[in-house]
Amino acid sequence: MAIIAADKPATRRRLSREVSGGVFAALMNVPTGLILALVLVYPVLYAGYLSVHRVGLGQLRSGVFPFIGLDNYARLFDDHLFWVALKNTFIFTGITVGAEIVLAVAIALLINQTSLWTSRATRLLILLPYAVPPIANGLIWSFMYSFQFGFLNRILFSLGWIDAPVNWAGNPDTALFAVTVPYVWRTLPFAILLVHAALQGIPRELYEASAVDGATAWDRFRHVTLPLLRPIIAVILILRTSFSFAVFEEILAITQGGPGDATWVAAWYSYKISFAPPNNFGMGSASAYVLALLIGLLAIGYVRLVYRRVTL
Amino acid sequence: MFKQTRSVRLLLHMANLLVIAFFLLPLAAVAIGSIQSEKTLQADTHAVFPSEVTFDNFTVILTQGEQKGRIFDQATYLPDNIKAFYRALFNSTVIAISVTALTLCFGSLSAYSIARHPSRWTVWLLQANVVARFVPAIALMIPLYVVIRSLGQLNSLVGVIVAETGFLLPYAILILAPYFDSIPKELEEAARIDGCSRFSAFIRIVLPLSTPGLAACGVIMFIISWHELLIPLILNARPEFMTLPTVIASLVGDVHVFFNLMMAICLLALLPTVILVALLQKYVVQGLAAGAVKG
Repeated sequence: MAIIAADKPATRRRLSREVSGGVFAALMNVPTGLILALVLVYPVLYAGYLSVHRVGLGQLRSGVFPFIGLDNYARLFDDHLFWVALKNTFIFTGITVGAEIVLAVAIALLINQTSLWTSRATRLLILLPYAVPPIANGLIWSFMYSFQFGFLNRILFSLGWIDAPVNWAGNPDTALFAVTVPYVWRTLPFAILLVHAALQGIPRELYEASAVDGATAWDRFRHVTLPLLRPIIAVILILRTSFSFAVFEEILAITQGGPGDATWVAAWYSYKISFAPPNNFGMGSASAYVLALLIGLLAIGYVRLVYRRVTL
Repeated sequence: MFKQTRSVRLLLHMANLLVIAFFLLPLAAVAIGSIQSEKTLQADTHAVFPSEVTFDNFTVILTQGEQKGRIFDQATYLPDNIKAFYRALFNSTVIAISVTALTLCFGSLSAYSIARHPSRWTVWLLQANVVARFVPAIALMIPLYVVIRSLGQLNSLVGVIVAETGFLLPYAILILAPYFDSIPKELEEAARIDGCSRFSAFIRIVLPLSTPGLAACGVIMFIISWHELLIPLILNARPEFMTLPTVIASLVGDVHVFFNLMMAICLLALLPTVILVALLQKYVVQGLAAGAVKG
């Protein structure tokens, strides 16, 4: 009797200390909720507020931001440079994403040939570019591309392929293409890795069955590999597109938007409008909002098309 | 899997060598550029390899400009930011370690609740994190700058740490949630029957079992925060709060700094993460794959 009596309060105490699953889950998300509200949600809303006010250095000093309605957006859409930046962003994204998908599939298939020692070597080295800081990557390529002293021209001279130095990033016709290469170089490992991981999931039997049917290597790729890679290609397409839209470091290090306006891209535009004199933070927010909106559409597509299947 | 003819194998070897050359080319450029002087770089603009090798670029950076070495003998000007190399290295390390610790800590709490308590709002939270990953940094930086400036908190490491943690947290949650989901529930249930509370079951049972997943997430968080430029660039302008990426960015357009010195500082800045990736390749691969799709 005494034992049971002594046991009961203890059990009750333990139960009362224990919270329900839902409350527990909510408590676990308090730190995340606070920090995301502070660093993501609030700034995104505040950027919207800034984009309809006049915000320059003078206003920052006085702390008064006059409301100007959609003036910032009107000025933005009137700005020739904004449209140039947007066009450049689309070209840059088209080239980098297209190149990355083709190269990622090709290289992933290549490093999947585990019987070749060169494939194993490639596989070991594949992640190196991922480790290089984007800004360092930009500076390295500005040395590669340098008109007078560049590493690329040195190699081509040594091979005897050119007689005069090539101005890779300084020529308005080639500059935008020149900045795509460093970006692809740095971000390709991630794409290769995802395709390679997806390749491991394709059952061997499918290939063996197709071999029995007398399929050629191209048939196998076209009718077995490629259809099964489609989901991961969709993932890469959306992720890489949205990140390419916001390219910044390589532009800063290699061309600073130049020559002329040849490599002005959307993020560079927002940065320059806001943080270079005359520091128009209102208009900068407006342009960043347009960029975020474009990327937001992609993000929603990503959740709908790809992440929907998540059943955690 | 399939027999390859000799010519196909040869072709594949060639393709591999091409890929390796492409991936190593910029690294060769930074290495070769950093071991020569301005003079040798300018003397022969057609040669790949320098006629004379010197480590003075590293000496001048690592002694903060005190030992100039032979090649900087005549140099009267050296950017202050290069002299502040150790300060920047320290700041970068503090920021990267703090951001990694905070994202792992907050991220694992959230990811665990998403993995173990599926409900309408946790699924919504996960999707919100997916969308949050897409928010471009520049869209956040302008309002953050305005807010932090009006609070008088520009130029501090804490500001950068908080901003980067918020920016990376969604990614950490996306990497960790599938990992926690893959751990069998039975172990926690057994612990709970033995009188463990929900929280201590998480701390004592799930976290120790998740070490590989936490390592995968941690390496990636460390690398991304080590690489982050825009946040410290905009929030911190004073040399004593600069990180390595902002020091590197400050050399852009400085006509007094030639490629040899730039390449040397780039090499020093990329070395820590390159070593990290080389050593922990397995975890990086695991984390990247988990963060992109459901693992």
